[in-house]
Amino acid sequence: MKHLSFLLVLAGLAAASVAAPAGKVDTKASEARQSEFYERVEIPTPAGEVCEVSSIALMPGKKVAIGTRRGDIWIAEGAYDADLSKIKWTKFASNLHEPLGMFWKDGSIYAMQRPEFTRLTDKDGDGRADSFDTVCSKWGINGDYHEYAWGSEPDKNGDVWMVLCLTGSFHAHSPWRGWCARITPDGKFIPTASGIRSPGGIGANDKGDMFYTDNQGVWNGASALKWLRPGSFQGNPTGNKSAALLNFPAPPEPTSGSRILTERLKYPEFVPPSVILPHGIVGNSPSGIACDMTKGKFGPWESQMLVGEQTASQVQRINLEFVNGLYQGAVFHFLGGFEAGLIPVRMDQEDGTMFVGGSNRGWGSRGSKPFTFERVRFKGKVPFEMHDISARHDGFEVTFTHPVDAAAAADLKNYSMDTFTYIYQSSYGSPEVDQTTPTVKSATVSADGLKVRLVVDGLVRGHIHHLLLGDIKSKAGDTLWHNQGWYTLNEIPAK
Amino acid sequence: MRTSSLLALLASLVFVTAAEDGAQVYNSLCVACHGPDGKGLNGLPPLVGSDWPKGTAARSIKIVLNGLEGPVDVAGKTYNIVMPPQGAVLSDEKIAAALTYVRATFANGAGAVTPDEVKAVRAATSKRLSPWTSEELLKSHPFPPSKSPLKHLVATVYEGKWMEMPDFSTLKPVLMEDFNVGILDPAQSGRKEYYAVVWTAQFEASEEGKYLFTFDCDDFGSLYVGGERIAEVKGIGPLGKRSKEVPVMLKKGLTPLRVEYVQYGANAAVLLAVKGPKDKTPRALSNAKIKVVKEKVSIPIQPKDGVAAIYRNFIDNTSPRAIGIGFPNGLNIAYSADDVAAELFWNGKFMDGGHHWTDRGAGNEPPAGTNVIKFSDGQGILLEGAAGNVVRYGREKEGSEWKFFPVNVAAEFKGYDLDKAGNPTFRAAGEGFAVSDAWVPEEVSGKATLTRTLKVTGEKTVVIVLARGLAVSGPTDGVAELAGGLLVRAISGPAPKANANDKSLTVTLKPGETAVLGYSYR
Repeated sequence: MKHLSFLLVLAGLAAASVAAPAGKVDTKASEARQSEFYERVEIPTPAGEVCEVSSIALMPGKKVAIGTRRGDIWIAEGAYDADLSKIKWTKFASNLHEPLGMFWKDGSIYAMQRPEFTRLTDKDGDGRADSFDTVCSKWGINGDYHEYAWGSEPDKNGDVWMVLCLTGSFHAHSPWRGWCARITPDGKFIPTASGIRSPGGIGANDKGDMFYTDNQGVWNGASALKWLRPGSFQGNPTGNKSAALLNFPAPPEPTSGSRILTERLKYPEFVPPSVILPHGIVGNSPSGIACDMTKGKFGPWESQMLVGEQTASQVQRINLEFVNGLYQGAVFHFLGGFEAGLIPVRMDQEDGTMFVGGSNRGWGSRGSKPFTFERVRFKGKVPFEMHDISARHDGFEVTFTHPVDAAAAADLKNYSMDTFTYIYQSSYGSPEVDQTTPTVKSATVSADGLKVRLVVDGLVRGHIHHLLLGDIKSKAGDTLWHNQGWYTLNEIPAK
Repeated sequence: MRTSSLLALLASLVFVTAAEDGAQVYNSLCVACHGPDGKGLNGLPPLVGSDWPKGTAARSIKIVLNGLEGPVDVAGKTYNIVMPPQGAVLSDEKIAAALTYVRATFANGAGAVTPDEVKAVRAATSKRLSPWTSEELLKSHPFPPSKSPLKHLVATVYEGKWMEMPDFSTLKPVLMEDFNVGILDPAQSGRKEYYAVVWTAQFEASEEGKYLFTFDCDDFGSLYVGGERIAEVKGIGPLGKRSKEVPVMLKKGLTPLRVEYVQYGANAAVLLAVKGPKDKTPRALSNAKIKVVKEKVSIPIQPKDGVAAIYRNFIDNTSPRAIGIGFPNGLNIAYSADDVAAELFWNGKFMDGGHHWTDRGAGNEPPAGTNVIKFSDGQGILLEGAAGNVVRYGREKEGSEWKFFPVNVAAEFKGYDLDKAGNPTFRAAGEGFAVSDAWVPEEVSGKATLTRTLKVTGEKTVVIVLARGLAVSGPTDGVAELAGGLLVRAISGPAPKANANDKSLTVTLKPGETAVLGYSYR
């Protein structure tokens, strides 16, 4: 008998270790339910062409331009239509240098190419670009394939923000690698933030603050969505030496093997990642960024950030809040099943159509096609989800998309929380460390059933707080589409 | 009882923790090349089925610490790759965890690796700065002998000069020997040239199913399985083009196998490999292994329908901001946007995108055509007696570090226009002036020519470098000849001047002036 129970314990342990660190996601099950809420459609790309979509620009008249890693720009008419078999593609430009970030403005397409930011114009009206204006090309490149340049859409001043990947993702062998810079409409190059490693996308939130995704690696324990506050240091000191080119103050030289919280308290310019995307749990390589400003046309996620994921071929959802001068918030799994590794994500804010594209060349992805261009639309049925998680001085408030079943939502058994962080170090990535298990002491459901106020004993500043929900149903009896979120608690709000 | 079960529990917990960490390291660092299942991605070596992670841990620790470069045989194939060193990046604990994971998961449960073992190897190899070679590692840490499926291997050696297969039943052997290693190797003959070997063995099939045999010889030979000749390589020649692949259905157990092999002259080699029903990769049964030559993908980029082609990417022997233009008359140029100068001239094929447009596309690509002449180097637009005040950023290597500095130049790149035929007009500008630089393909007296029109506007007198770095003869009658056979002919405008100091050919244009030049091969 004793023997048997011992075996059972062992079996239980083995199962736990295989079934994964708390909160491993059942991707298949969540993707199976996706079609209840969202329609994902592959858009046919030009026949016979390799269209590894690296950029998407929305144009007037429901035209959509795609840029490819091979450097072609194609313009689609009919990408919004129900019958996609009639889509018409026109080639606008050929063989540019890997454009990563593109938009339409005042009759031109603007593309961030690896060596330069370019305005492409069709002056003679034959449908093909004939004028290529180099707006800015001040940064260094040396022939290293990893020296990517990612560009945003223009901000309210008309400036375009760019993030410059390190040489080989480890070094700074060319000027301004590892920096964010702004390019003004007249072509001025304004280095704006340091400390960047290997970006996968860049985009603004609804307030106009600029964010980028940085990939796990050296000085990056896990990938994250990071806020490009002007003058900030983003955590990777490799590119610091470029500061001397413009007599900027030297960016921080943090201590390896420390924690982000420890180091950023030493250096006020060190802006910690707004939302960390736990490596291997939420994703592996975040990419394009779109803010949902569709006023409900894409679902009830107004102001939330939608972030592409290359390896897992997914889109994650992030709610941001501003606490004590820093952004922070929670990431949730959202859309999946895309056909290749996603790179750009673009939202048509008027129409509520989200366009994504991607490729798995050079870096593998769960989606097994070599390249893809897709659109996603909300079908009108709001999934039962955590809408957002918001920090409080003594815990969190979780808002749901539908009123909850009050009895289940008030039951403490249905909440489990654990926290962890990563080592902040010069080596590649980090294990999860400093784990703690706070106690959820009370769960109070609001009168309208949409909010649950959690009082939590043991919040840890600087840690990722992982909230796993149990059997919580909506009042109408719906089960949760996704039952967990990861909140990066940079700051604990005051009472 | 209770204590011991608790200890067992604790032990299993410790193991679980270590294994998770190793998986984490593997999945963040190693997975991109070796794949989530250890089978290798994009033509990179697998860990599954490989002898490398097996046996002594020191071999694997050295590879992780310092990397490995050059040809390496893995699971029956030869690769020529660079595994980047991780010693500066990973702690002893991480390396131990990752290798423990790799050995447990992909190497049939080879033993765990401890941080102390890694620490010891790190200390012993601290002076080693470059990656290891396969040869070095296998000399210090050979693979444990593996069990060959070739049982009772006997080599019978004959001497003589044969151009075709002799009848061995009529010949008298000079040597007959058992080789327990189960590997065919012409060196077993003890001879250098003009000999033959007949190997006989029992091939042990571990299960019933299809076995794919690969057979090749330098010079010629035959492979018999189950008494039947299944493959023949005829004539004199090296390994490679005559290689045969033959599937054979075998029952579980022993099947007779015979190889007849003739070496004419020197350079002996025999290749025999087999891929069983459950094998992922062929297994070598000879000292020669199947070479995996990664086929170069070709994506030709050529002018089409009389319209010039463009290629923006890293082009060899110019600067990173290169713009290639392939004209329909068979002439091509590469323009450097860093130097605001056309720098390369070639004819024939324009560019091949196969390199940059597959995998990660690392590095430069040379022009696809012929007669490549680098006719200019460095800044192509200068001001007389002034450096200019356009700020760019340069770099210079000091020791192992790159130093950056601002550089003042006269002009920087402003873009280009393409006409209907794809012909480019490059634009550059500095303070108070602009330069346009148009290239059009023409036939001049039956000769393919690129006509270049340079125009200066604004308020500065500008020196334009037409060529630099090659010996210049002339100009004579308006024609300058550059070493390598490129002619630069002045068609209209101010006359170009040759400058012996920096081997350059320049033309000085005042505001509003235009110079027209023809570039062609001699």
